[in-house]
Amino acid sequence: MSELLDPRAVRLAETAAGRDDAIRRCGAVLVEIGAVHPGYVDTMLDRERSISTYVGEGVAIPHGTLAGKDLVERDALAVLRFPGGVDWGGEPVTVCVAIAARGDGHVELLAALAEILLDEDRARELREATEPGAVIRLLGPIQEETKR
Amino acid sequence: MATINGRDIHKLVVACDAGMGSSVMLASTLRRQLGKTGVTVEHTPVNSIPADADVVVCHSGLAARARTVAPDKPIVPFQVFLGDPAVTRVVKAIQQGTDLHV
Repeated sequence: MSELLDPRAVRLAETAAGRDDAIRRCGAVLVEIGAVHPGYVDTMLDRERSISTYVGEGVAIPHGTLAGKDLVERDALAVLRFPGGVDWGGEPVTVCVAIAARGDGHVELLAALAEILLDEDRARELREATEPGAVIRLLGPIQEETKR
Repeated sequence: MATINGRDIHKLVVACDAGMGSSVMLASTLRRQLGKTGVTVEHTPVNSIPADADVVVCHSGLAARARTVAPDKPIVPFQVFLGDPAVTRVVKAIQQGTDLHV
């Protein structure tokens, strides 16, 4: 089974001292699951410093720069939840959907995320999820359809 | 300041840095909103905006770079990835065939 969103990459009780720390946590998970080279994490920090990846509803989608693409081993996502919240340049962030992508394999999943964020109830469900299964269910349907 | 009529927009490009995150998300949302209009929505890195783009949407932090790469194209900068009023105006101009001032 090709796992764009590996259950091992869903961490729902994280803590971080600040935005950069949260991004390093996200990057560490992508490294741990073998999706990226450790050098990718610095490009995630670079990207965040130039343009925030905050997308609304308490969610940020940290990812690397164009230069960082070469450090991606395979397309993958990681979902990290910071129940205590992280100050993201003035916006409170609870959920990070970290992205590693060389190609367009993750496009459908991001489309699903965009729909969730435009729906207040589902956005809240994502922010309050405490079970990895719930997160995968929320983001999963489109991914499942593509696999068939 | 340039003006383009929504009916003259056939290809909308969301320009971004890496093309793997927020622009992908915005492009997917726009594709859904513009599905019935027949307008093509692409997301590309800001350095490779295609020549046949009729309008370019990009984060305000990238607008200067987009203007250097595509000086002859209408550029619409936005601040927020989902629900930005600048992007909503583009969608409306396309759907209603009205003028868009950029």
